[in-house]
Amino acid sequence: MAGNGNNIPELDQNKYDADEQVKIICLGDSAVGKSKLMERFLMDEYRPQQLSTYALTLYKHTANVGGKTVAVDFWDTAGQERFQSMHPSYYHKAHACIMVFDVQRKITYKNLANWYKELREYRPEIPCCVVANKIDADMKVTQRSFNFGKKQGMPFYFVSAADGTNVVKMFREMIKRAVDYKQNPSDFMDEVMQELEVKLKHSDY
Amino acid sequence: MSFVAKRCGVQFSPPSIVLIYENKETNKVRKRIIPVRNFSKYSDYSMAAERLKNHPRHRDYLEGVSQSQLERLHVILRDHLQGFSLDYSLSSFRLDPDEDLNKLDDEELARKKGQMDELFEKNRRHKDDPDFVYDVEVDFNVETREKCSWDEESDDGF
Repeated sequence: MAGNGNNIPELDQNKYDADEQVKIICLGDSAVGKSKLMERFLMDEYRPQQLSTYALTLYKHTANVGGKTVAVDFWDTAGQERFQSMHPSYYHKAHACIMVFDVQRKITYKNLANWYKELREYRPEIPCCVVANKIDADMKVTQRSFNFGKKQGMPFYFVSAADGTNVVKMFREMIKRAVDYKQNPSDFMDEVMQELEVKLKHSDY
Repeated sequence: MSFVAKRCGVQFSPPSIVLIYENKETNKVRKRIIPVRNFSKYSDYSMAAERLKNHPRHRDYLEGVSQSQLERLHVILRDHLQGFSLDYSLSSFRLDPDEDLNKLDDEELARKKGQMDELFEKNRRHKDDPDFVYDVEVDFNVETREKCSWDEESDDGF
């Protein structure tokens, strides 16, 4: 079923094939502030859809990228972290990934390696960034350099969902990268899947 | 808002939320004792807190008290009804930075989030603040950065 969720309209992932629609996922440990970051970015606009059966929260946003209107779906976990792994449908057709850790808790930084490994099993090429949240708790952390993701060339952001530092900047840049990726996908599997879908459609007749 | 919350706590007998607030119109500091009704050792702490926060007679006084603080106060009351000591409740809120929070259930996580939410509320910039800026960008100087000890003894990816 690979997350097509035919019976639940919110989970119909075929819409992510449309040009004007992107899917961005958030990854990271419990209580690193993923939802607080979403809420800070979306402010009054946010109307999350809680899909508690799926331990999932969806936030819908409309962005303007290069003069074009793009519908962005943000996928946030709602306790799925507990299983130390996400359902494959969480990654399915995602166009970008935001990985978050809490600068006050080392374990959340160390666990990025596990989240990243799982992400790359499903989405080997999508743009990804590393976000150091809660810098308001201790501004001294911004004088330190965190190496995770450097080798892979991932952008790194020091942010605070509480005072807003760099939250909007990070989201805007990631939306842009998701749209760029979509226009120019390099995931081999995507192409294979598209070809298969075309063949399946033809064989329907 | 003419009531400014100063401190908020609990009283076990009878089970109540105690609020010290200042009335901005009269500049007087007052104490308000809000009895917690229909609350047993089986009650849902988060629903009870939400009910109180929206209570028509109390909500104006409780505007400056966060939902999460009211939740924690209800957790303390419920722990007491279940026979746990205040020390037990308070230590359950304490956050060990090395603990893996992925392993906790909803209620355990809510207890730990209490301490984090307190800091969040303290540092929070509200959209109603006169100096609120939506897009705050700060460029942190890359050159002066020291190596982070969290990167030592690491395997791949770091």
